[in-house]
Amino acid sequence: MERYLLKDIENPRSTDIGEYKKIGGYKSLIRALEMSPNDLIDEVKKSGLRGRGGAGFPTGMKWAFASADPKFPKYLICNADEGEPGTFKDRPILEKRPHLLIEGMAISGYAIGAEYGYIYLRGEYPEARDILEGAISEAYRDGFLGDNILGKGIRFHLSVHRGAGAYICGEETALIESLEGKRGQPRIKPPFPVNVGAFGMPTVINNVETLANIPLIVEIGADAYSKIGSPECPGPKIYCVSGHVEKPGVYELPMGSTLREIIYDHSGGVRGGKELKAVIPGGISTPVLPPDRIDCPMDFVNMPRYGSMLGSGAVIVFDETVCLVKVCYRALKFFEHESCGKCTPCREGTGWLRSILGRIDEGSGRKEDIDLLLDVAGNISGKTLCPLGDGAASVVTNFIRHFRDEFEKHMGKTCV
Amino acid sequence: MITVTINGREIRLEKPVTVLEAAEMNGIEIPHFCHHPLLEKWGGCRMCLVEVDKMPKLQTSCTLYVTDGMVVRTESEEIARARKGILEFLLINHPLDCPVCDKAGECSLQDLTVKYGAAAGRFEEGKRKHPESFDDPLIVRNMERCILCTRCVRMCDGVQGASAIAVTNRGSRSSVEPFSGGRYNCEYCGNCLTVCPVGAILSRLHVHSYRSWLVEKDVRTVCPYCGVGCSFVLQMRDNRIVRSLPRSDVGINRGILCAKGRFGYEFITSSERLRTPLIRVDGELKPATWDDAITLVANRLMEIRDKYGGGSIGGIASARCTNEENYVFQKFLRAGMRSNNIDSIARTGFAVAQRYIEDVLGQGSTANLISGIPRSEAVIVVGGDPTHINPVLGIHVREAFRRGATVLTVGYTPGLERFRTHGLSPYPFTEATLLGTILSEIVNQKGPHGEKVGGPQEIARFFEEFKAIPLSDMERVCGISCSALGNAIKDIISRSTISIIIGPEIIQSTHVRTNLFLLTAIAYMLGARIYLLSERPNEQGLIDMGCLPDTLPGGRPIDVESFRTRDEELWGCEIPSAAGLTLPEMVEAANSGDIKAMYIMGENPVYNLPDSAFVRASLEKLEFLVVQDIFMTETAEVADVVLPSLGWSEKDGSYTNLERRIQRLRKAVEVEGMEDWRILSEIGKKIGIRMPYNSPADILEEISRVSPLHAGLTYDDMERNTGLWPYKGEPLRQGPPRTPTLLPQGSLSICNAQTGRDKLYMAIERHMFLSGTMSRYSSALMSIYEGASVRINPDVARRLGQEGLVSSTETM
Repeated sequence: MERYLLKDIENPRSTDIGEYKKIGGYKSLIRALEMSPNDLIDEVKKSGLRGRGGAGFPTGMKWAFASADPKFPKYLICNADEGEPGTFKDRPILEKRPHLLIEGMAISGYAIGAEYGYIYLRGEYPEARDILEGAISEAYRDGFLGDNILGKGIRFHLSVHRGAGAYICGEETALIESLEGKRGQPRIKPPFPVNVGAFGMPTVINNVETLANIPLIVEIGADAYSKIGSPECPGPKIYCVSGHVEKPGVYELPMGSTLREIIYDHSGGVRGGKELKAVIPGGISTPVLPPDRIDCPMDFVNMPRYGSMLGSGAVIVFDETVCLVKVCYRALKFFEHESCGKCTPCREGTGWLRSILGRIDEGSGRKEDIDLLLDVAGNISGKTLCPLGDGAASVVTNFIRHFRDEFEKHMGKTCV
Repeated sequence: MITVTINGREIRLEKPVTVLEAAEMNGIEIPHFCHHPLLEKWGGCRMCLVEVDKMPKLQTSCTLYVTDGMVVRTESEEIARARKGILEFLLINHPLDCPVCDKAGECSLQDLTVKYGAAAGRFEEGKRKHPESFDDPLIVRNMERCILCTRCVRMCDGVQGASAIAVTNRGSRSSVEPFSGGRYNCEYCGNCLTVCPVGAILSRLHVHSYRSWLVEKDVRTVCPYCGVGCSFVLQMRDNRIVRSLPRSDVGINRGILCAKGRFGYEFITSSERLRTPLIRVDGELKPATWDDAITLVANRLMEIRDKYGGGSIGGIASARCTNEENYVFQKFLRAGMRSNNIDSIARTGFAVAQRYIEDVLGQGSTANLISGIPRSEAVIVVGGDPTHINPVLGIHVREAFRRGATVLTVGYTPGLERFRTHGLSPYPFTEATLLGTILSEIVNQKGPHGEKVGGPQEIARFFEEFKAIPLSDMERVCGISCSALGNAIKDIISRSTISIIIGPEIIQSTHVRTNLFLLTAIAYMLGARIYLLSERPNEQGLIDMGCLPDTLPGGRPIDVESFRTRDEELWGCEIPSAAGLTLPEMVEAANSGDIKAMYIMGENPVYNLPDSAFVRASLEKLEFLVVQDIFMTETAEVADVVLPSLGWSEKDGSYTNLERRIQRLRKAVEVEGMEDWRILSEIGKKIGIRMPYNSPADILEEISRVSPLHAGLTYDDMERNTGLWPYKGEPLRQGPPRTPTLLPQGSLSICNAQTGRDKLYMAIERHMFLSGTMSRYSSALMSIYEGASVRINPDVARRLGQEGLVSSTETM
């Protein structure tokens, strides 16, 4: 398939505005500014684009909500806090194709009526910061950002805000809190950011990859776009594959490619010809899948049918040598560390799950511990303020659901 | 109209509230930790989860607003399971140290665990460790007990506005810490203590000695410190105050207190309290019996009265004594001593301002409800920092700002630094110049409307010839940028409901009349409500009780014969018709020998009046000085007879606050001794004054007959909080209107004069923790007082250092 989002990334000068223009860059912005904002929103709605951050919310609808709110100013935030373990799909866009993101944001800002945009960048991506800032100043220089974009009297300013390393700040309301200079903790929803977002104003928060799709939609039109990949949620999708495969990396494929295709056709199969034991399909928070479920099409609609979620499209592959109890323990260690502490079940529950898993891993687990794990996870699930706690609980329940025997075998002894 | 069904009960609501509020209004209890009616919604503890039809998950009732047709269940198996789970989670890191925790017995976590929790926990791993912090003199923090509901942080940030504490760290390692580290650098309002649902933040005044079930009685009373008149409950055990506790449903303070109100109560048990009468013998004060002291006072006063006439005797009433006592005091002087020389410390600010403004704008024009401040669109603060002088009123100004009001401050108001839109700091002594320009700009932009029906003609006439310094000269004259001032004025004019808060500093400075006139005119032009800050709890009360040289109880002028004769009949005596001397005049007269004797009740003029040495020397010249107080004050030291009285919390009575709300003061502590009113009546009886009082109620009954303002007022009215101006009586003073002398000759030129440059002036800053009288005897307040200091411009300090005048400085 022709690459669009990751086009030209082999070019060592791909971050240069001149190179970007050579392959047709900023033409979509020019075209978009000739459309009315409402037409643009309709076009995005028609394209069927769904947010690539993990929740898969229809992008056009989100834009329409913010656009319809009479409050002003409005803000556009690019969520570049790529922190979900296993996920590195946005990084190539940020580091290799900054102008694609900037163009996408300029178009989006125009569509929703935002004059200010922020890229909330993961603190651990220092190179991306330099690259983005360089690209932003090029875009200002060439009139694609500023007070009078392309002489059309349209205003859009863009700046980069670096996070300080908290996973929770990838959650959109925690991200806003952090952007506002507060402690990164999720807010109560509703109100949603489209109505009360950054600084209390209507705010659209889109993922990097989502925004990178916008120029394509404008370029080829919603109709052509909606024919790429799965009919129910079309478009190109970047899958990032890590773990025990021959060729880990980022792969831009049509949305809806199956896990089997991704692992075996594109990533060269399981490393060293070993047996596949388990796959986490969309980042650590998404439910783990056993090998018999890898024929699932990786999109927002089909994944739930197979008992998981698309998430960020971060495929983590485990071969037969892996101890899944350890994986589960390691995941919970992460969730405990990243729990913000605002709500009780997540703050206290993640640590408790981690400590039970820790003692199983160390070989002092007891049979009852499995039920205890499930019970504690049940007390977290559905009772937390944001999805972080749910994610932690679901990791435990799904690892036990599919690999209970492995947990049982681990009781009272360390793994072999 | 919204109809919502909770547990099968249909509830109708006028406006959307949260499910939790709707349930509570209807007596349905939903357990919670992080929710608090005063605080911003949080939704963190997850204890208040409920089931809502058509919603897939349990919902936090504290954040979910009711919608029409919503069906809610607060009790079900799933909810019970969830609550049990939350409690189990909370107890993972919470020590089970209830037997040694002060909060036991009134702890939300304990109560709810008993009600909804599991009998045993399943958590086996070690709990979080966090040493208890005793770094602070007043607040103990035990972060192991903290359940991270963040009520304290939201209180500190969102209500008090001190922003002194925050959650640090993440997840279960989070804890609440002051930004300043171990010791708090805060306003010590202690409101974090009130809202903590567990024993994580405690008052050191009772830590490890408090047991909620050992409290013997709760006494509802009013704070003794300032004119706001906050209500709280004194919790008593063994005839001792265990702590003061505000209640969110009672009083104008709605559960908020300041440092003085919360921690300052133990001055009452100070070892320095006076307990026996003292009589000066051979130049030294020696203990005496009550009989001897009372007889001596009665005889000496009668002697002097008969020898020199009533005019030779003066009295200073107390803004810390009750209405009843002040009433008895002025009656003692008028009826017993035949003297109108009655005044008080209110003369140095509050009384002067009130008289002036009400003479111009009408009686009651300074009686405005404090609760109106947060609802103002603009607040102008002049003459002092309300967050220091009347802290809880100051919180209302902060709230106004948070709600979007324009706040304009004139002068040094550190407590409002983060809560103001415009801060103007004129050069010293140019306040009048600045106010003049502000007035003139308002007149120019709004046009004079002094001809408005009933409008004071003086103001209209004044505008015709009024020439203020032009805005463009403000930079040079007052040191205020003309664009900043212009914007501020424009901003204020564009607002409709405006409050003006006037502090003592503008009244105690030079050009008092000009300042007051200009402020009155500004208030008039803007149609603003006026608030006068009051540093003492009963300044208003003593004015109402007639502790003024020219006014009878109820604000009736003494020069009106009908008023006098009415009181003469009631009191059975003759009242001199001429106004008496004011406080400064009395001091002068004592010095010149025109006043021979003085009776000072609960006041310390040697300390509180300017030029201490002069005041002391003047009082020393008196033939006879009686001081009635609870401490051996600087004034008591020069007295001939010192009479120990009972203090706040040891007696019943009433206070009238700055908004003219009469509130009940209750006896909590039983001690031997006599109240001020009782001492006065004992002496009065010997002199032959009609004082048939056995209790404050007897006095109030007489007041309600004498003062038209208090006609028919009873303690029950105060109880019901209906003792608010104009009470039950007649609101307006009868008799000929007073004509205020608006501007003394020549004072207009002050608006053009440039004074106060190139010299050093020391401005006195009011302290948030101390007010100089009782607070000095509170060890708690003294422990957080960092000592006196002078703030000085670094360049000036350097210059003075070179001249050898300043030895060391410290950068703040």
